[in-house]
Amino acid sequence: MRKHKIIQVLVLVIALVPSLLMAQAVEKNSLSLNLKYYNDNNITHHLLVQAKSKIDGKFQQIPNIPVEFYITTDADKANLLGKGITNGKGEALIEIPPTAKMEWLKSPNQTFVVTAAATKNFDDAKGELAITKAKLKIDTAEGRMITAKIVALVDTTWKPIAAVDVIVGVRRLGGILNANETQTYPTDSATGGVTAEFKRDSIPGDQKGNIVLVASVVDNETYGNLTAEMVVPWGKKSVYMTNFDHRTLFARRGHSPFWLEILAYTIVVGVWSVIIFLLVQIKNIKKLGVE
Amino acid sequence: MEKLAENKIIEDLLPQKFGKQGQIWVISLLAVCALGFYAYCRQLYYGLEVTALRDYASWGIYISNFVFFVAISLVGSLITAVLRLTDVHWSTPLTRIAEIIAVSAISFAGLIIIVDMGRPDRFYNLFTHGRLQSPIIWDVIVITTYLFISLLLLYFPLLPDLKIMIGYKERNGKYLQKLYEFLGSFWKNKPEQFKITDKAINILSVTIIPVAFAIHTVTSWLFATTYRPGWDSTNFGAYFISGAFLVGAGGVLIAMYVFRTHYKLEKYITDDHFNKMGKIVVLLALVYLYFNINEFLVPAFKMKKAEEEHLMGLFTGEFSPIFWFAISASMLVPILILVTKKGRTPKWAFFAGILVVVGSWFKRFLIVTPTLLHPFLPMHDVPKNYMHYFPTWEEWAIAGGSLAGALLVITFFARIFPIIPIHETIIETESHEKA
Repeated sequence: MRKHKIIQVLVLVIALVPSLLMAQAVEKNSLSLNLKYYNDNNITHHLLVQAKSKIDGKFQQIPNIPVEFYITTDADKANLLGKGITNGKGEALIEIPPTAKMEWLKSPNQTFVVTAAATKNFDDAKGELAITKAKLKIDTAEGRMITAKIVALVDTTWKPIAAVDVIVGVRRLGGILNANETQTYPTDSATGGVTAEFKRDSIPGDQKGNIVLVASVVDNETYGNLTAEMVVPWGKKSVYMTNFDHRTLFARRGHSPFWLEILAYTIVVGVWSVIIFLLVQIKNIKKLGVE
Repeated sequence: MEKLAENKIIEDLLPQKFGKQGQIWVISLLAVCALGFYAYCRQLYYGLEVTALRDYASWGIYISNFVFFVAISLVGSLITAVLRLTDVHWSTPLTRIAEIIAVSAISFAGLIIIVDMGRPDRFYNLFTHGRLQSPIIWDVIVITTYLFISLLLLYFPLLPDLKIMIGYKERNGKYLQKLYEFLGSFWKNKPEQFKITDKAINILSVTIIPVAFAIHTVTSWLFATTYRPGWDSTNFGAYFISGAFLVGAGGVLIAMYVFRTHYKLEKYITDDHFNKMGKIVVLLALVYLYFNINEFLVPAFKMKKAEEEHLMGLFTGEFSPIFWFAISASMLVPILILVTKKGRTPKWAFFAGILVVVGSWFKRFLIVTPTLLHPFLPMHDVPKNYMHYFPTWEEWAIAGGSLAGALLVITFFARIFPIIPIHETIIETESHEKA
């Protein structure tokens, strides 16, 4: 009886193993595509997608995923903006090309779609983003004041937008350094503008003292990412300093310190004088042999 | 040394033609050199890609060989200069052996540096564009200087011997006779000539000591001026010099035994020479052991993270078999052998000499390569083979070829010139008899 049960269990295991293995073989992770829109200084626009997947209980950036970007809908291949492959950070970026202008001008609101076909390890995925078209403008006022204003397209006219957080600062080492101690300014309801006092007097600029002022809206749910820049001569003029031609231990050839040159050449001349003296002695020995 | 007639001394010490053993020896060395040359041609054609040298281990057995050659060359200053200036006369039969080892080794030290260069055609840039601040330039200057001084130290004592050899025209043959006449026909055994020669040798003996110290100190600075685990030491100059004297003395023990047995020179290179050289090797091995303990114990006591990886690699890791072999072979075992009276007999001393030289070669490898494989910043984003170093056959062939080349120079020198100074031996025998 017991033997009979063992055989039954074995048969069951043998029957289940292939199906379990098969199930493991086809198991794929789901992929999440997070799409972002950027308006760069009201000149160019770009889209960025972040591919992520939950692996071992953690969201991880997924590189090498081929993605396709569409304007409005992915149903029509004519709306394809371009293709990309996610990099090591799981990101792919595309500039919105001028060919999309006609589609872009159709509506004050715009939808973008990104798709990824199924791969060996991941299911197919799709991400969508809807934005309202907006512009961020930057200017200066007397007394080193920075002003910024947001306008959004409503029907066919650009109207000021209130209650949007704007960062105002100066471009510094690849990031934005706040113009003063305030982090962000909400736009007012009347003008859609903000005003910030520039308190960074000692910021190093270029040789003319030029620095780049920046106003930025980051990850706004309605308008996306907006940036405006302006060059002003408010920085400290930088003077090009180099010790390239100075005599240092680390200088280029022929620019070693005097003390080193004197020391080294004295030793070399001293030792080689002895060698030359000895060569002269050989000549003297030779002379004595000939006499 | 027993009483020997002048003619007998000359007859014993004049250079001899190669016998069958000598011919086999020369042909074997030439074959190794030829293989090395072929491998070098491949390296020139394909570039350093044929070697195992990569971004991290950019110095391998070529530079180990360079340090080894520079080290062994210091023996010239030890035997010729230090012992001469301290009025030690028993070393007279060994002076020329030591000097030819020095000349041969320092010549190949210079050559192996060029071999290590990916673009040897740019070697002249070292002279035209070299920075005086760089230890590499100091090395170039000091190696050239040491070579010249060693050549002079070889040449001056040779002059009276050349006069003797010129007298054996028939034995010499046409070409050797011409060479001897070119080098020393002007030597007439005049007292004034001896006076100048003695003065020159004394000046050279004084000059060569600081230059010899400089040559190996500067070589050590090539490493010590670089901030890396294992090289970041203020002790490196003394550590290198003590090791150099040891390997040089070990080399002399080997050469003494080979020349003594092959040319039947038992009356000139006596058991007492082995006894005394053995004692010197023990002293030098103890000094070098002291510096090794100093060099490893102090960083091991602190065990800073970067040093730890390097030291553990040597003590128990990837390089531990070579490390313990090098320490045992170059220091511990030779000390145990040579500290006994029986150990200082020719055969045992010869064996100890071989251990010292072989162990020292591997010691140089351990100074150069493991450090390069343990940089302060971790290695990443590189192929796996960048993280380890094992020389390719081309590297072994070139390194072997250079060692064979150095031995060939010594062999041919012993074929052309007396390996034991004839004139000095006669003078010392006479003064010994008078006493």
